[in-house]
Amino acid sequence: MLPAAKSLNLLRLLWLAALLAGMAGARAEALKTGSRGPFLHNIPLYDSEGNVISPPALLGDDGRPQEARAAPYSTEQTCGKCHDYDVISQGWHFNAADSNVKPGRPGEPWILTDPATHTQIPLSYRGWPGTFKPPDLGLSDYDFLTNFARHFPGGGLGDPDTIDSADPRMGRMQITGTMEIDCLICHQSTGAYNHEGRFTALQGENFRWAPTIAAGLGTFGGFSNAGSMADQWHPGEQVPATPPSIKYNRAKFDADTNVMFQVTRRAPSANCYYCHTSQSPPGDARWQSDPDVHLRAGMVCVDCHRNGLDHKIVRGYEGEARDRTITEAAIDLRAKIMQRDDPAISGDNARQLARRQLDAELGMIDTLTCSGCHASGRLASPRPIHKGLPPVHFKKLTCTACHSGPLPGPQPEIVHTSLAHGLGLAAPVRGKNTAPIIVQPVFLHDTDGRIAPYKMVWPSYWARLKDGKLTPLLPAGAAKSACLPKQNPEEAVRDPYNTKPLTDQQIQQALESLADNSSEAVFIAAGKMYRLDKGKLVAEESAAAAPYSWALAHDVRPARQALGAKGCADCHASDSPAFLGTVLARGPVEPAKGLSREMWEMRGEDKTWIEVFAFAFKFRPWLKGIVLGAAFVVLVVLAHYALRGVGVITAAISTKRSPP
Amino acid sequence: MNSAAKLSYTAMCLGAAVLAASGIGVFALGRPPMTHWVLMAHMAAAPVFAAALAGVAVTWADLCRKGSKPRLGAAAKVLLWIILVCGLVVMLSGVLPMTPLFGTDGQRALYLTHRWAGIVLAAAVLLHLPALRPHADVTRH
Repeated sequence: MLPAAKSLNLLRLLWLAALLAGMAGARAEALKTGSRGPFLHNIPLYDSEGNVISPPALLGDDGRPQEARAAPYSTEQTCGKCHDYDVISQGWHFNAADSNVKPGRPGEPWILTDPATHTQIPLSYRGWPGTFKPPDLGLSDYDFLTNFARHFPGGGLGDPDTIDSADPRMGRMQITGTMEIDCLICHQSTGAYNHEGRFTALQGENFRWAPTIAAGLGTFGGFSNAGSMADQWHPGEQVPATPPSIKYNRAKFDADTNVMFQVTRRAPSANCYYCHTSQSPPGDARWQSDPDVHLRAGMVCVDCHRNGLDHKIVRGYEGEARDRTITEAAIDLRAKIMQRDDPAISGDNARQLARRQLDAELGMIDTLTCSGCHASGRLASPRPIHKGLPPVHFKKLTCTACHSGPLPGPQPEIVHTSLAHGLGLAAPVRGKNTAPIIVQPVFLHDTDGRIAPYKMVWPSYWARLKDGKLTPLLPAGAAKSACLPKQNPEEAVRDPYNTKPLTDQQIQQALESLADNSSEAVFIAAGKMYRLDKGKLVAEESAAAAPYSWALAHDVRPARQALGAKGCADCHASDSPAFLGTVLARGPVEPAKGLSREMWEMRGEDKTWIEVFAFAFKFRPWLKGIVLGAAFVVLVVLAHYALRGVGVITAAISTKRSPP
Repeated sequence: MNSAAKLSYTAMCLGAAVLAASGIGVFALGRPPMTHWVLMAHMAAAPVFAAALAGVAVTWADLCRKGSKPRLGAAAKVLLWIILVCGLVVMLSGVLPMTPLFGTDGQRALYLTHRWAGIVLAAAVLLHLPALRPHADVTRH
């Protein structure tokens, strides 16, 4: 071979080697289909170390059957191969504990509920007024997970960047694994996601294994409780080098050890409902209620509540854009894409442009509100007509005030929600007194001063009061210190949620048992603070007992069932629920002992005016009659003289034209 | 001019005064929309004004036609017809929004019509009073 040919071959080999090295090194996330058609997710599974999961052969070397044991799959490694996990982690469902994220409009809190101690404390990492931040109560992130993992999708505080092995609670994650974002909770399209299985796994603190169990890929291989294993561990000790494995279902793997995931970007509403169900009235009455009008029209939740890769899902309220934060990570990602498309652009310029683009995209959020969508006609939404409704109502009411939630009655009704009552998981039938008691709709003013419907819950907890500062007791602390009535086994079976209200005597006993020299024991419930004054129980209004409320927007009722569709008297009447409905604070005391307020009172309005205005509507037909009658008279007079004027003009013209 | 005409005219002026004070006053003070007791006063004065305007139309129209006796000044005649036309527009644009005939766009149009016709009406009433003064013979008849 000629030297020239040899060197050419060498070059070719080098080029081929470089190409292969490049392919191997290329991150998979650079690959996109770009199609509106779904990508067939027949993909390999990866464990948390990034190794491909390949179950051992059916028969071992000795010819004996062997189980398909392997490490649980990691969503960060598996889904993250193509979908940037770090970017997704910025999403609204995962970023609650990120202090750089603006809290936005107060939403549904997590409610720490313990029937035994009659505790219900609204919690939120976002610092919404009226809620407690878990760390402020002495609740660690790990404790938060053990309480709420049932409806927590993972990520964020569940999947910290580093695990503090010296922390006796967080250090457990070295054994239990972190709680990665479980993409399939929202994105599986088959309805085969096993929430019960996931819940069972999470009850055992099997965070690392839960996604695999829930996806139905396998079962626990010889263990079922990582929490028990973690109980044996103490800070500073070594953790097991090889965590227990999953016994995979071989049928899930094809010949190339790929697994088929039937996933969708347009998540079915049923997936959302696992965490976002509001059931009212509670009990076996679902047949009495209609679903949201949008869903009946064939839409799904994510048609409006959209998100990009960053999963900053549109919450859909007006003014949301100003509550959004454009993070450096989002700018970096967009700048990276820009530089890929235009290599000539400098890094700084790309970031500036990215910032501008992302700012402009915030405007898009406003088009996904009720009014934004219906005014623009997006998704063929009908244009609101609002015949007979004076426009002043749009300044004073939100769209949801008339269109969302149940029609108001004399009292708000009790509602159960997924987050608060664990809906979506099988449990003894939850009743109207099952804690936490949440009511809806309560009509309050929003931040723009418009009337809007809200859900409302009253905190209930035992606390210590010292120097004017209230320190709530967590259920474990309250159970340990307070002398509280205990259910006997029969009662526990009959009333698993311990709904029997506390009597004054029981509250007094508990407060006496909690008393110490350094602080005063108090009980917060149903809008009041109970305390002992010279040995006597007193209950008084207190800011600490104020309710927490959050806006409700669903289910949306059709136009003909909107408030006001039957006429002005839907609201402007002497018994209008929106103004004169009674909101009774609910909690673990007799309902009659709860604080009672009418809606106008909660909004700080003038009752006399409301009653007079409502009374005035009785005379509205008279007003219309008088004014229309008067208008008719004036019109006839004007027409009469106008016609006479026309007669004079025509007479004059005809006189002029007559021959001399 | 008979007592009915005088009564109608007086009632119309009083009604118009309340309506203008409550309606235009709210905007002049920069506190729209009109609500609460101001709205109530506006709504209470409206039927008084409407009935009085009808009375004025019936009792004054003939006085204001061309060549009528007793003679009114041209300004007073023209202003009265303006009052009647604007009053009609104000009444209809005030009462039609209370019926289920107009949607939001129509309601807004009616609202603006009501506002501007009301301003013109108030101005016309205000000018009509001095326009009557030189012709005291009107009140003698």
